[in-house]
Amino acid sequence: MIRILLASRNKGSMSDLEAGLTGGDVQITRADSGSKGMSMISENIFDLVVTDENLGDMTGLEFIRTIIAKNPMVNCAAVSPLAPGDFHEASEGLGILMQLPARPGKEHAERLLDHLKKILNTMEIK
Amino acid sequence: MQNGRIAVPSNGEGGLDATRSGHFGHCDVFTFIDVENGEIKNVSTIGNQGHVQGGCMVPVNLLASHNVNALVVGGIGLRPLMGFKQAGIDVYHDSQRAEIKPVVEDLIAGKLPQIREDQVCGGGGGAANPA
Repeated sequence: MIRILLASRNKGSMSDLEAGLTGGDVQITRADSGSKGMSMISENIFDLVVTDENLGDMTGLEFIRTIIAKNPMVNCAAVSPLAPGDFHEASEGLGILMQLPARPGKEHAERLLDHLKKILNTMEIK
Repeated sequence: MQNGRIAVPSNGEGGLDATRSGHFGHCDVFTFIDVENGEIKNVSTIGNQGHVQGGCMVPVNLLASHNVNALVVGGIGLRPLMGFKQAGIDVYHDSQRAEIKPVVEDLIAGKLPQIREDQVCGGGGGAANPA
């Protein structure tokens, strides 16, 4: 079971992504703010957190920074309108596995899951 | 550090006479130095697993599963640093020297500082690669 938390103050902005992720062995949970997301992360295990650019109470990158300070094992992806080079600079050191465009769609869901599974498989020490 | 296993991200085939890799997540191999009573007892190497974007916990898992107690880096990101801390692995910092042996000797002698969070890549202070 792959457990994913989608953090967004606007549910519609990740509806296509959620639709693409749903099904198979994936469980989706929603949070509509950074503080609610942190509360859920402290009580549940997630394999992946996908954050929107702005959660109202904090930016997506601030949310990820808060997550990794408490639980660095959680994989994170982030919606960001920044150019790839600028995103790399802004997110340096945070170990974000993928940058997503605004309103990510089904094709992003597939790439995200493939990438996550690659990482999870590599984590199994041979 | 009197007893334990030290890991050093290394270039090429690694070993005590090899040079250090500037980015631990992208290194060719990790050199393991086993220390007993302040003396180097054994040196071995292990290949790094391929780096995937966002896969910085992979080397954390790798080193933790190989009983590493200490890691020496020239630079590291905040997320893997937190991962090593969670795994109980102390992370030491030397951004000047490329050679493995003198850095390891200083660690054993207690002369190497642990990296601070403000020194990590993206942590505000920046960290230079070894020369």
